Amino acid sequence: MSLILKKIKSNIFLSLVILTYIILFIFLPDKGIQSLNNSLYYIKEMLIIMPVILLLTSLIEAWVPRKTIQNSLGEGSGIKGILFSFLFGSFSAGPIYAAFPICKMLIKKGASVANIVIILSAWAVIKIPMLANEAKFLGPQFMLVRWFLTSLSIATMAIITSKIVKKVEIPMDDIITRDDAVLNVDKNFCVGCGLCVSVSPENFVMKGKKANTAKIILISEENDKIKTAIEKCPAKAIKYM
Amino acid sequence: MDIFTICLWIITLIWFIGSIIKDKKKTFGSIKMSSGMMRNMIGEIVGILFLIGLIITFIPPETIKQYLGQSNVVLSTIVSAFVGSITLIPAFVAFPLVGSLVKAGASIVPIVAFLTTLTMVGFVTFPLEKREFGMKFALVRNSLSFGFAIIIALIMGVII
Repeated sequence: MSLILKKIKSNIFLSLVILTYIILFIFLPDKGIQSLNNSLYYIKEMLIIMPVILLLTSLIEAWVPRKTIQNSLGEGSGIKGILFSFLFGSFSAGPIYAAFPICKMLIKKGASVANIVIILSAWAVIKIPMLANEAKFLGPQFMLVRWFLTSLSIATMAIITSKIVKKVEIPMDDIITRDDAVLNVDKNFCVGCGLCVSVSPENFVMKGKKANTAKIILISEENDKIKTAIEKCPAKAIKYM
Repeated sequence: MDIFTICLWIITLIWFIGSIIKDKKKTFGSIKMSSGMMRNMIGEIVGILFLIGLIITFIPPETIKQYLGQSNVVLSTIVSAFVGSITLIPAFVAFPLVGSLVKAGASIVPIVAFLTTLTMVGFVTFPLEKREFGMKFALVRNSLSFGFAIIIALIMGVII
């Protein structure tokens, strides 16, 4: 019994939906059947797309080096990164939730928040088969104008989002494995004492009044100086994430 | 299956086979890690899909059509943007639906607002997006998308 309760607790959303269906089947059975039938199309779509997404996410994890993603989609990738994200999102297949695991993997490998917003939005909105469909029913001019405005909006949204949301605010604990966690200074806790910079100047710098890592440091690259800095930090703000 | 899904399958399978030949252990190790992450998502996704089925039953395309074609353009634009955010009807249903409205002479502003929020704002996928990318990311991305959908709709109303 407690096992069932636990399952319900960890899948609270699914449980609520199932409960709604049960109530519906008792009081409005024909609406219930209709809803199940409507869902069938989406379930089929999921079964077609999710296995290939699983494989693709795993293959990126296994073979695409962090440096490659960092260079093509990272913070310093600039216009090239934006274009690459647009193309990647546009030539994808499947509904937006299929993009979630892949995007998470890309963040883990060093993609920037801005480029992730572009990939997610382009994945949802700019699909070639969808554009063709739109041109057919609403005319090519309508489609082109909307496509152009949407792309412009997505790029603007990406810039705004990256200003508001920092990478450390994105939960990564379900995807980070021991050896590829990256060293981070939590700005919310850092008191700006500069101790880490004086212990290990090659790994930490002061940016404004807060400390920051000087470069990307993986847990596998840890040395004694970094260890000391982590231990000495009075605010315990230096962590691998 | 559309051509893009087929291409994705073919490319991924070729890569997968190459990967197994090169390093079997590494390949399956990564799959194990990814499926760990996706196992957490799948319950939520199934819930979302059944919820969409419910929403379509209670807000069928015909009802949506009524909202989109209302004579008060300002009100109908806002309502359409909300309806587009909540529902998730497939593109091959949405385009013919609004196409017939445009032919009948309806204003395109609410229609564009609806089409844009339909794909870009995910009300039902919000809980999942929140869990995977954090509350702040999901909130910022979805509200910006909503705002820009209205802006795009207004600009298109002026241009076309």
